[in-house]
Amino acid sequence: MKLRPTLLALLALLLTPLMALAAPRQVVLLFTGDNGGELAPCG
Amino acid sequence: MPVLVLDAGNALFKTPMPGDPKERARAELLLEQMGELGTEAMAVGARDLTLGTDFLVKAGKGAKKPKLLSANLVDAGGKPLFPASTVVTVGGVKFGLVGLSPEGPVATQKGVVGQPPVPAALAESRRLREKEKVDVVVVLAALPYLEALSLSKVAGNAVDFIVQSHESRGPGVAQRNEYATLIPPGERGRQLARLELNLEGKGPFVDLTETERAKENLRILDTNLRQAKDRLATLKDETSRRALEETVASFEARRKALVMQTTPSTQAPGRSHRLSYVSLGPEVADDPEVKKRVERIEPLGSASH
Repeated sequence: MKLRPTLLALLALLLTPLMALAAPRQVVLLFTGDNGGELAPCG
Repeated sequence: MPVLVLDAGNALFKTPMPGDPKERARAELLLEQMGELGTEAMAVGARDLTLGTDFLVKAGKGAKKPKLLSANLVDAGGKPLFPASTVVTVGGVKFGLVGLSPEGPVATQKGVVGQPPVPAALAESRRLREKEKVDVVVVLAALPYLEALSLSKVAGNAVDFIVQSHESRGPGVAQRNEYATLIPPGERGRQLARLELNLEGKGPFVDLTETERAKENLRILDTNLRQAKDRLATLKDETSRRALEETVASFEARRKALVMQTTPSTQAPGRSHRLSYVSLGPEVADDPEVKKRVERIEPLGSASH
């Protein structure tokens, strides 16, 4: 039980860099629209 | 990066009224291929209703097909014909997607009518925010541009993005009026609009390309300002000098505004977006199987190919 605060502190130290490196939330939306029945677009 | 594919409507037919013998086959192939592309949802627009809502409801069935959405299209009894919205989670982000159709009677299906789209969009978007707790609300607005613009002005923080289709306006820039941002999706299969979202923080999405455009405008303005000052130094005529001094003063006022736009904000960075377009030209390879099927509907050398 005496070790617990030390272990928690160690764990916090270990996790801090991981949290700092967490990737930002990013998503790509791809939109089409106004295709107007086009099957064979010619550029 | 996780990807969500959506369609703003007016995808399936060349005209809002029937008449082309190949239109059914074309619409069915398009819906099938949109499903293959992973299109999650699509708004029902005027050029999706050419063969009526009965055809569309039937053709839109199937696990892989995009979900057809309309918050304001109702039958003769006032009953909705399509779901108003759908919710999808991508990359840990919960998106609420709302579909809108044009207002007024649908000429190709007796009794079907598009109710006023703006109140329908507001009610559904607010429900998605409050009840479904979505992170981002995207309205797929198969509406005339001016109506989509009106929606962006009255939506408050109920809507994040409005993707507009109707008049084939083609690619453009993102336009934020109040909170919501209007997005042009491109047209006729020639482009794919790519909207990169950064979802850290809160509040309205900031357009990252605005700063880049301001920097480019500042560079051009500085060149013009330098030339105007050089010319002013050589001018003797008082009337010409006064006119040029006014021009220099207006350039300097504009410069001040641009410098402010290019100065990084001291506030914490919020949610942001970057809109670009992917051109689908000859450099994008055809799928041989799909190409064969297209050529059965639109033979090489035909007017529509």
